[in-house]
Amino acid sequence: MKKYLQVLKITFQQELAYRVNFIMWRVRNVMQIFLIFFLWDSVYSDHTRQLFGYDRTKILTYVFGILVIKAIVFSSRSIELSRIISDGTLSLYLLKPINFFKYWFSADVASKLLNMGFSIFETIFLFLILKPDIFFQSNPVYLLLFIVSLIIAVLLFFVLIFLINIFSFWAPETGWALPFLFVVIIGDFLSGSVFPLDIFSKSAQNIFYSLPFPYLVFFPLQVYLGKLAISTVLNGIVISLGWLIVLWFLVKVFWEKGLKKFCSEGI
Amino acid sequence: MDRAIVVDHLIKNFEANVKKQGLTGSFSSLLKPEKKIIRALKNISFSVQPGELIGFIGPNGAGKTTTLKVLSGLLYPTSGFIQVLNYDPWERRPEFLKRISLVMGQKRQLWWDLPAIESFELYKEIYEMSQHDYGKNLEELVELLEVRKILNIQVRRLSLGQRMRLELIAALLHKPEILFLDEPTIGLDVVAQQKIRDFIYDYNRKYNSTILLTSHNMDDVINLARRVIVIDDGKIIFDGVLDELVSQFAKEKIIKVSLSSEDNISHIEKIGKVRKISYPLVTLSVPRQTVAVAAAELLQSFPVDDLTIEETPIEEVIRTLFKGSMKYKK
Repeated sequence: MKKYLQVLKITFQQELAYRVNFIMWRVRNVMQIFLIFFLWDSVYSDHTRQLFGYDRTKILTYVFGILVIKAIVFSSRSIELSRIISDGTLSLYLLKPINFFKYWFSADVASKLLNMGFSIFETIFLFLILKPDIFFQSNPVYLLLFIVSLIIAVLLFFVLIFLINIFSFWAPETGWALPFLFVVIIGDFLSGSVFPLDIFSKSAQNIFYSLPFPYLVFFPLQVYLGKLAISTVLNGIVISLGWLIVLWFLVKVFWEKGLKKFCSEGI
Repeated sequence: MDRAIVVDHLIKNFEANVKKQGLTGSFSSLLKPEKKIIRALKNISFSVQPGELIGFIGPNGAGKTTTLKVLSGLLYPTSGFIQVLNYDPWERRPEFLKRISLVMGQKRQLWWDLPAIESFELYKEIYEMSQHDYGKNLEELVELLEVRKILNIQVRRLSLGQRMRLELIAALLHKPEILFLDEPTIGLDVVAQQKIRDFIYDYNRKYNSTILLTSHNMDDVINLARRVIVIDDGKIIFDGVLDELVSQFAKEKIIKVSLSSEDNISHIEKIGKVRKISYPLVTLSVPRQTVAVAAAELLQSFPVDDLTIEETPIEEVIRTLFKGSMKYKK
């Protein structure tokens, strides 16, 4: 356990070594929230308006929620994995007495803690400037389910990123392109971090809900906002857990296969 | 005493995709990949006693690095028996990994953006070392490699030579019983090379650790290793003490004479192959068997001041060895 704490510590320092980079990344997130905030702010200029089941307070809470949840779920170091595989540095990791998955998960946790800290600070800052009406969930059952769905979201993202990076074993030249594409398309769109997914038609939503992606951002936020019945929430948790297990299994299988290829060719 | 490494009839084949030339070739290999078997190691056997320092030499692509990778557990063998410290390296058990270390001159394990000391702290935990052992080992290594001043500087700000010394510390902190060094001096200047070499030599002496090193730099091997394994085209063509390599492969000996006059100097060619004439010194190479006759004849027919008989320099022996095998391959 102690070794993974040390991994966490060194990743923390590593993130801070690129201070400017890190701050720019945070600025980008805040700018995005600004944009989305003003969009919805004008849509809901009539304070009594209800759209797609959101009143003004809930949609603004959704926007703020995106900031914090994205910081927790999407912050990750394992994006580097593809580089490590394609340039062969993986060899050095394989010769250390460590569990590779735990190693990268610890690194991810470090990145998440750091980003979470910043995002909370940013939320307070934006809150003070924009003075929006925010919805506070007071039902302990929903809060508990929210935390459960958030933990699943974190694990789900870890497994997804791992799976995508593993393809570098077969296509080393893709490098960071594939993970990047994934984060932009899935991360911003299908997960609901640009706009809530319930603006789509019911049938489209059904398709989304059967995929793993809404469970990264959209679903936890819905739970927080208390927009879903408890039975729907439990149903969603079961589906996302199912995805987690399936994807984890795929990671295991492809990792073994990739490693075998790596070790037979010695990239 | 138990042997540190046993390799018996090791074969390692790689499967590689072959791409035909040109754009059409790219497409056809995309649709129908053509596989080709590359035979990297063709049935090699050797064993190593604890505390030995062995140099692997051979031209690029001969199989040196492949051998080290198989021994450290990175590549699985196609066939053959391998045992390192009584473990099967391919299983990569933590107990095994804690007792070995691999340094690759071309790959870095230190965290680029942080001072080296931070990486060392991480390795302390990864290898589950006690504070006492860690402190002691680090102190010794820092002393030996003279890196105290650069421990707290970001690694990327350091020169290649400084970095390599720190990489060595990272690899040796946990006191591995076996150390694999793959091209440890690559890209370094002469002074930095010498520092690394001196260190490896001292380290082997002091801690009696087993060291296997590959290098295309002949100086490394000649200065360090008591035993060399010459590997070429996936086969071991020599395994033994350096001096034996010379007597086995050098077909000729070198005679150096110092003449007192230039008379008859053109006739000297009859005695042996003239390698160099810079009057008064003449250097000849003569077949090993006839060296005594040649020397006698020189003394008789030429105004000789001084005469010495030497072995062919080892670099040259190795060079001709590889050149010969290259020709043979073509």
